[in-house]
Amino acid sequence: MPARPCGPYRPSGTTARSTAIHRRALPLLLIPLSGCSGIQSALDPAGDEAAAIYTLFLVMVAGGALIWLAVVGLLLHAARRREAPWSEKTAGRLIAWGGVAFPVAVLLALLAYAVWLMPAIRPWLAHSAPAARPIEVTGEQFWWRIRYPAAEGMPAFETANELRLPVGARAVFALKAQDVIHSFWIPALGGKMDMIPGRTNTLSLLPTRAGVFRAPCAEFCGASHTLMAFSVVVMEPEDYAAWRRAQAGGNPATGSEGERLFAGHGCAGCHGIRGLTETASLGPDLTFFGQRQTVGAGTLANTAENVARFIRNPDKVKPGAKMPAFDMLPDGDIAAMADYLVGLK
Amino acid sequence: MRLIPKEIESLWTLFTAPTIWALHFLACYITAAVTCAKAGAVPFSFDTMRLALGLITLAALAGIVLSAVLAWRQWGFGSGDPPHDEPTRKDRLLFQGFATLLLSGLSFVAVLFVAMPLVFIGACQP
Amino acid sequence: MTGAAEPELSTQERKAQEAELRAVWRTPSGWRYWTSVNNTEIGLWYGAAAFLFMLFAGVLALLVRVQLAVPDNDFLSADTFNQAFTLHGTVMMFLFAVPIFEAVAIFLLPSMLGARELPFPRLSAFGFWSFALGGVFVCGSIFFGAAPNAGWFMYPPLATDKEYSGIGADIWLLGLSFIEVASIAAAVELIVGIMKCRAPGMRINMMPLFAWYLLIVAGMILFAFPPLIAGDILFEMERMFDWPFFDTARGGDPLLWQHLFWIFGHPEVYIIFLPAIALMAMIVPTFSQRPIVGYSWIVLAAVGTGFLSFGLWVHHMFTTGLPQISLAFFSAASEAVAIPTGVQIFVFIATMLAGRVIFSVPMLFGAGGLAIFIIGGLTGVMVALVPFDWQAHDTYFIVAHLHYVLIGGMLFPVVAGIYYYYPLLDARKLSDRLGKIAFWLMFSGFNIAFFPMHLSGLRGMPRRVFTYPADIGWDWFNLVSTIGAFIFAAGVAIVVIDVVRPKHRQPKVEENPWNAGTLEWISEPEEKWGVRSIPIIRSRYPIWDQPGLIEDIKAGRFYLPDVKDGARETLVTSVLDAEPIQCLRVGGTSILTILAAFSLGGVFIALTFHWWIVTIVCALVTLAAIIAWLWTGTAVIPRQEMRDVGLGKSLPLYTSGPQSVGWWAMFITMAGDGTAYASLMFGYFFYWTIHDDFTGGHAGPGMLWPLLAAGLFTLAWLAMLLARRFNDGDRPAATRLSLLAALLLTLAAGGAGLAGPYLTGMDPTAHVYPAIVWVVALWTVVHGGVGIVMQLYCLARSLTGRMDARHDMDLVNVVLYWHFLVITAVTSFGVLGLFPGLR
Repeated sequence: MPARPCGPYRPSGTTARSTAIHRRALPLLLIPLSGCSGIQSALDPAGDEAAAIYTLFLVMVAGGALIWLAVVGLLLHAARRREAPWSEKTAGRLIAWGGVAFPVAVLLALLAYAVWLMPAIRPWLAHSAPAARPIEVTGEQFWWRIRYPAAEGMPAFETANELRLPVGARAVFALKAQDVIHSFWIPALGGKMDMIPGRTNTLSLLPTRAGVFRAPCAEFCGASHTLMAFSVVVMEPEDYAAWRRAQAGGNPATGSEGERLFAGHGCAGCHGIRGLTETASLGPDLTFFGQRQTVGAGTLANTAENVARFIRNPDKVKPGAKMPAFDMLPDGDIAAMADYLVGLK
Repeated sequence: MRLIPKEIESLWTLFTAPTIWALHFLACYITAAVTCAKAGAVPFSFDTMRLALGLITLAALAGIVLSAVLAWRQWGFGSGDPPHDEPTRKDRLLFQGFATLLLSGLSFVAVLFVAMPLVFIGACQP
Repeated sequence: MTGAAEPELSTQERKAQEAELRAVWRTPSGWRYWTSVNNTEIGLWYGAAAFLFMLFAGVLALLVRVQLAVPDNDFLSADTFNQAFTLHGTVMMFLFAVPIFEAVAIFLLPSMLGARELPFPRLSAFGFWSFALGGVFVCGSIFFGAAPNAGWFMYPPLATDKEYSGIGADIWLLGLSFIEVASIAAAVELIVGIMKCRAPGMRINMMPLFAWYLLIVAGMILFAFPPLIAGDILFEMERMFDWPFFDTARGGDPLLWQHLFWIFGHPEVYIIFLPAIALMAMIVPTFSQRPIVGYSWIVLAAVGTGFLSFGLWVHHMFTTGLPQISLAFFSAASEAVAIPTGVQIFVFIATMLAGRVIFSVPMLFGAGGLAIFIIGGLTGVMVALVPFDWQAHDTYFIVAHLHYVLIGGMLFPVVAGIYYYYPLLDARKLSDRLGKIAFWLMFSGFNIAFFPMHLSGLRGMPRRVFTYPADIGWDWFNLVSTIGAFIFAAGVAIVVIDVVRPKHRQPKVEENPWNAGTLEWISEPEEKWGVRSIPIIRSRYPIWDQPGLIEDIKAGRFYLPDVKDGARETLVTSVLDAEPIQCLRVGGTSILTILAAFSLGGVFIALTFHWWIVTIVCALVTLAAIIAWLWTGTAVIPRQEMRDVGLGKSLPLYTSGPQSVGWWAMFITMAGDGTAYASLMFGYFFYWTIHDDFTGGHAGPGMLWPLLAAGLFTLAWLAMLLARRFNDGDRPAATRLSLLAALLLTLAAGGAGLAGPYLTGMDPTAHVYPAIVWVVALWTVVHGGVGIVMQLYCLARSLTGRMDARHDMDLVNVVLYWHFLVITAVTSFGVLGLFPGLR
């Protein structure tokens, strides 16, 4: 398969390849609805649930457009003065057939389709074969804590703001919230599920195409709701396995200047870097930070300048962020730390 | 005294069928919600619940059909066509009968709609 | 023809009658103008205020659109943006969409039904002043940067987080509770008005469709708003006193708020939509020049929608992780509600097909609105399907959908209504030319603004984002939307200009300029009496079908052409066949209503700032004002029992029980009150379902005290029944003794009710179980307290000779209240005492 031309960037470490997902021929009208509609689009499915919903949507759009044209056409026709108005009886029949019989039949069929679809795209894993242990994702103002479970002899580990999944395997998520309600949504893979304090919601998704996608928080969660997103990297199984193995080791100490400052200025009090510090977990884990697409949970591209900007005054980049400003530090220190973090690959 | 009076002199009969819909809806929602929330504690299975709600659905449909038959009778078994706009008590009764019949029809369909998930969904999955 | 047996009056006598009528119904001048309670003034003020709030919220929307026009914009800060969209939604919903229909209804209904006034004009005035004060309070907050900023849905725990939401959340909760009170007051007024104050002969199959719709809508308000009030109480208790209803650490759950909010919130959509469609149901027949085809179908649709709309609320919660089976029930009901909606559209089309359509500005707005609304309806069918909603929920697709529904289904018909009914206000028409320009600007601007949002939403743009990155595929859509929003706003501005531009030079139009068939077109803008005389109705379109009707009404040839005792009077008729049963004297101009509204507003505003003493003072003033209002204005014993209303008919001036409007008002109010109570009990059982042990290990109130309270409340109720019986038997001493006994029993009952949780040391801040027990107990005891005030009131009425065996309205209504109270008390204390042991 040729590489898909869509998507503004492609991460290192993933093979740019698109698996076969069935694309139907679209009427001309629908072209703006599909194709290269971005990394956060429900109209460019890369998962089994998103594809099923996309098909449902196309069916409804086509039907809806026809119904609208018919009804508005009738309305315009009715507005014209005619020589012979309809009799009351004929007009009454129009109400019975057009206003009742037809909608009842269409809605019944549509409802059956959708209700049948629900358990089909979100099967209950507790009833099927022993399910994979869930990846735990916790929404916090305004970032995502991600905990991978132990698997196949590899230990559990924590990361933040970037989710990596193997293509073709159903991933299960246990969704929680730390403070207020957030909502977990990867438009390219499937629908959303709220993260509600005090509850654990379960969601499973089946990615069908490798690529990098963006996932926003979909429930208004405060000042920086807008700036709360994570990246999803769907990888070929072998790439994923390699990445998964590497996680266990973390980023051992290299003795660089930035690393020393990171510990010295107390960053490690909140942020964990496996292999370097005892894992603190107040703020986002920063292990392999350099691999991530963004800094600040989807706020800025992951460059050393942006990391420095964030460290200097997080609240300016991201109103309401809990991390204090470090603008009292010399610019050189901040730059060194930024370089260090971006270098954690 | 007849059990069901021939002519019902009340505005409220209009609401019989939709009220049955509402009760059926609540029965479905509350039963399912409690069954799933208390999955460990309730002494019956999900399938038993589906069956019970199926029976309740049949009862609700029967109630709505009864309301429809009464309304049909009040409407003179379809003899008095709309618009029922004469200033007489008779037309007022015909209007009530016809409107009640229409509402029974809508409620019947709505109960069927609400019962449909019982066919397709077989577990408490979120 | 009149059927009048009496001799015709001379011109001079007629003029004298008219002068008297005019004097009685006169609107005061000077500052006292604002004390008027006449439905035409209240309706006009209500409408104007709602429209101003709409323009304000519209400006907020434009600010939001400017901010989103280009990516990474910093025109508004995140916090200002959050305040702006929260206030935009809140104001449009609570201060425009619902009140505008109350305004139209209060303005139009009396004349449409052939009545002089609605049965409780002072209640309308009270509602208006509450609304205006609450609205200014809520809107004003943004100028102090203190507006609510957690979204119009106010989900906890974000909205309960004081650090984030400041006093904005309190302003939302208290300001809107206050406005909800006004809405419920209007609902009571409208239901009683439509059921009991129709012109003689206007049987239920003769009612104008507008009245049918309004009857259903008012009923919906009665069952939809109270759950929100119950939710507001829980919410405010958490914010003010730290009772943890939504705090998961102490057993609470944020989802309870979502349930209560949307049990209100979804019917709300239909509460907004149905009255607008009701306007269409008046406009379409007029411009088709024929009666509506499918009158019964419209009734079916209105009633059906009214019921089904209460089975939809969870479709706002499809992504909260509820079991699929629950979601599917609500999805099914949401699909079903599309059926009655479709029926209405086809009724209009059928009526147009069976008539000869005269195209005019109202029809233009009506038809354009329908074309827009149908798209909103179709996308509604889409998002009501659970799988599609999993994707579309909380994206711009929903923003597009809801604006297509509300602007197409509500704003366009309302503008159509303004163009249609403006001659009733000013005896002049609005400009056809400006109307057409406004329509095309609004129609095209609307579609340019909102259609692209379907696409940006599905391309993943979430709602309530204050900006967005450039490379994500939404730039063009947003820019186009912003341009469209300004075109749309230009159209709205032209409507405003058309309405406010001076028109003295424009010639007056003849009466009933559109040749409509319904009664509201007989009213004259200069006269405040509503109808000159109350006609006998024999048709759905009396002006078309009853020749000479207008002349006969104006010549005073029907009921109540004259004035007696200087009172404002209207007829009360029976529910089904509209047979005259009473001549009702309604309240006139009064300062008490404004006083009551402003002091009640003082209570809510003082609570926001925790000024406890001001709160108490204002509460006492409110109570005093309401009692003074009732004492002087209701259940007044007339000088004569009977009143000659004309046409050889004599009617009683005083009735009680189901014959009277007061009884109905009490019944309806208590139905709403019972709904709020049921919502609290829903909360109690909700906590039971979500926890394995919902008491969280906390001690309950025990069995003894709650059961004692239930028993004492029952005894108090029996004593009230006894009092009514003694009063019927004309034994005033025994009546008073029974009332006194009931009063003491109520006091004891209230004490016992609170003793349960108090003596067992239940701490409402410790866990949600003690908190919900306290709330249920307090709710019941406070109602007992109101019962005591009523008992005292009856005692005072009896002692001052204002209540006797024949004139027993006060006592009968209070006993009706007690029927509801005893049900509440037995349920509350039965559940509190017994349920923890049963489960």
